[in-house]
Amino acid sequence: MKAVLKNGIAVFSPQGFLDANSSNVFMSMEDIESATNLKADMILVSLKKVIFFNRNGLDIFVKLFSKIRKKNQATVGFCDYDRKKYEAMRRFFHDELNFSLFKTLDIAYLFSSSFKNLNKNILIYSSDKSQRSAMAIELHDGGHNPIIAQSFEEFEEKKNNKAAYDYVIDSTFLGQMGQKVATRVTGNAIIYTVTSFLDVEISEQFNIEYHNNSLNVGFRLFIFDAYKVISMNIHALNFFSKLSSSAAEYNASICFVGMRFNKTPIAFKETMEDAGILFYEQMDDILQNKELLKELGASSASNIKYKRVINKETILELPKFIDATVSTLEMMTSAKAIKEAVNVRDLAIKEKKDNVASSIGYYGDIDGMVILVFPKVIAKKACELLIGDNTDDLEMILDTLAELVNIVGGKIKTLLADENISVNITLPRTYQDIDSLMEVVEGRKGVQVDLSFNDDKFFFFLTR
Amino acid sequence: MITKENIDSFIEKIPPSPKVLNETLSLLKIGELVKAAKVAEQDLALKSYLKNIVNKPIYGFRNEVSDIGQIFGILGVSLSQQSVYNYMVALLSPDKWSLFKLNSALFHELQANLSKRWEAILMRLNIQDDNIYAAISLLPASIIVTEALFAQNKKEVELLRGAKALDYNTILIRLSGVSLFDICEEIAKKWEMPSIVSSIVQAASGVKPSQDKKIDALGKWMHLLLFYKLSQPEFIKAGLNDFIDFQVEYVSDIYDDFALLMEIE
Repeated sequence: MKAVLKNGIAVFSPQGFLDANSSNVFMSMEDIESATNLKADMILVSLKKVIFFNRNGLDIFVKLFSKIRKKNQATVGFCDYDRKKYEAMRRFFHDELNFSLFKTLDIAYLFSSSFKNLNKNILIYSSDKSQRSAMAIELHDGGHNPIIAQSFEEFEEKKNNKAAYDYVIDSTFLGQMGQKVATRVTGNAIIYTVTSFLDVEISEQFNIEYHNNSLNVGFRLFIFDAYKVISMNIHALNFFSKLSSSAAEYNASICFVGMRFNKTPIAFKETMEDAGILFYEQMDDILQNKELLKELGASSASNIKYKRVINKETILELPKFIDATVSTLEMMTSAKAIKEAVNVRDLAIKEKKDNVASSIGYYGDIDGMVILVFPKVIAKKACELLIGDNTDDLEMILDTLAELVNIVGGKIKTLLADENISVNITLPRTYQDIDSLMEVVEGRKGVQVDLSFNDDKFFFFLTR
Repeated sequence: MITKENIDSFIEKIPPSPKVLNETLSLLKIGELVKAAKVAEQDLALKSYLKNIVNKPIYGFRNEVSDIGQIFGILGVSLSQQSVYNYMVALLSPDKWSLFKLNSALFHELQANLSKRWEAILMRLNIQDDNIYAAISLLPASIIVTEALFAQNKKEVELLRGAKALDYNTILIRLSGVSLFDICEEIAKKWEMPSIVSSIVQAASGVKPSQDKKIDALGKWMHLLLFYKLSQPEFIKAGLNDFIDFQVEYVSDIYDDFALLMEIE
């Protein structure tokens, strides 16, 4: 069974009955291997469609969880269960509960370091005081506002006030959490939270692929929330210096906020400043200062020093990129897509109104970025297979558009692999208007292909 | 990926039920087991299929049964009729499976398992209707239809299912407005199977509850039975566990009875 990856969480969804015989087959070593290759922050087994499980069945998963953790330190556990299943799991594992339990997948997303929705008001309750605190700390580090109910009565009373909370968390248990550096996105800035002692482990804990993806898709400001850092050693210093040098290629800024140097040599600060890292006392010194944000590149992603040009390697593979896009859209719509015009130029969109876009980067033997621009109604049509219902919810359409462009990226990867060209794809990014897209691609030359299906036009743009 | 035209073409290609089978079924329906066996003898493939099925361990016979007359005699009218329908459905299965890791032996195993368990369920529910016994035969046709429609688009389907956990039935409905079970119904019509067969199988899809309470209850048992079998290692390995969505809430009111009957601890 293959896991489905979304928002940094890979989920296995077995159905029916879980016992020792079936669990062994639901998640094979090969499945685990491909799930860990997805570089997910969490690997979870959803119990939503499981009607029966026993201790032996879950034991198999728990053993696999431990193998996963040894390999990539991801958070592992179960999600999507009711109270009865939760109590059964607590009873089965009692003192050996070293994996996590998330009542729903949406709750798990809140604890994923790749989740992009911030500042949610979250009511938390657990009968275990240390669990309440652990959840609050994790959520706070992820950029949310946790509110702890100290007793069951208080929880029952508070949760009735539905308007006050975006999420309510109960029947949830945090086992060993992933040691990945928590990540959140604020506007055009990415904030990483680092804590305690920063040493050689930082290169394992920091998701460098996510960081590179972010650079590739146009993020230019990266802030390290370092309020809780106690000290750092020379290995961490080297790591951040290298990170800053590679960011400079994209004209990106790296800032540290709240870092104290009473237990870290002050010379480290000077070295980091020499490498281009900026230091600020408070987060708001950056986030509330529009002028500074602009200067640091967070208000616009267009000020790239080195605009890379579209090259021969990319042009040679162009038919594959178009094929991947066309076949994916044909699959999603069951309509024939027609190529109308191909031009090498800056992205040109005459009608900006009511258009949305999504992009995905690829890197490896060749690198670049594919951008799809659709009128909203066409985006909705293209996403109908994934959404199911007819919806006007822009957030859902954009979310689904990201899944669609991810499928296109997957197809590109497969087609290029057939030619022995190895690439990885970045996380998809969506743009709810064309202006925000233009901030990323302004001045970049690329190949623009005008396509249509059922006479509805959309654009494909390939750039570097 | 899949259009209404693909589906129409698939339905068009379903052969009518062979004359020998029609005659066998007609005789079985009026309880003429001996005459039915004589007619059935003419179809060597049917003979071989029945022999193979009834000698599986789940049927529990100590000695090998090889004569069709003997087989029909042991099975009785309801199960004989059900077995002939199973054979008809098996005729639709591909020579080589590619979407699912199945082969004819494993598919027949699934048919035999479902049939025996369905018999136990109907005995528990005190139902003796031959047509209801036969209903289970149509259920595995949904697997054959999935294979036939999606095998050509295996890679695309894998990419799609890698991005979102969509089952084949949902994909088909969203692409064409037609469900796997609607196609099964078309097969049943073409083979002149009693209408109650497709009604129960439609309810057993878990997404189309029947207004008729009795049919809906049978649909629940069949839906749960299907996932009980699809949770077994050989069928998980075959990729069948998530080919349609399991509707846990739909079957929750009969689960305890089911667990008791199947001796699930």
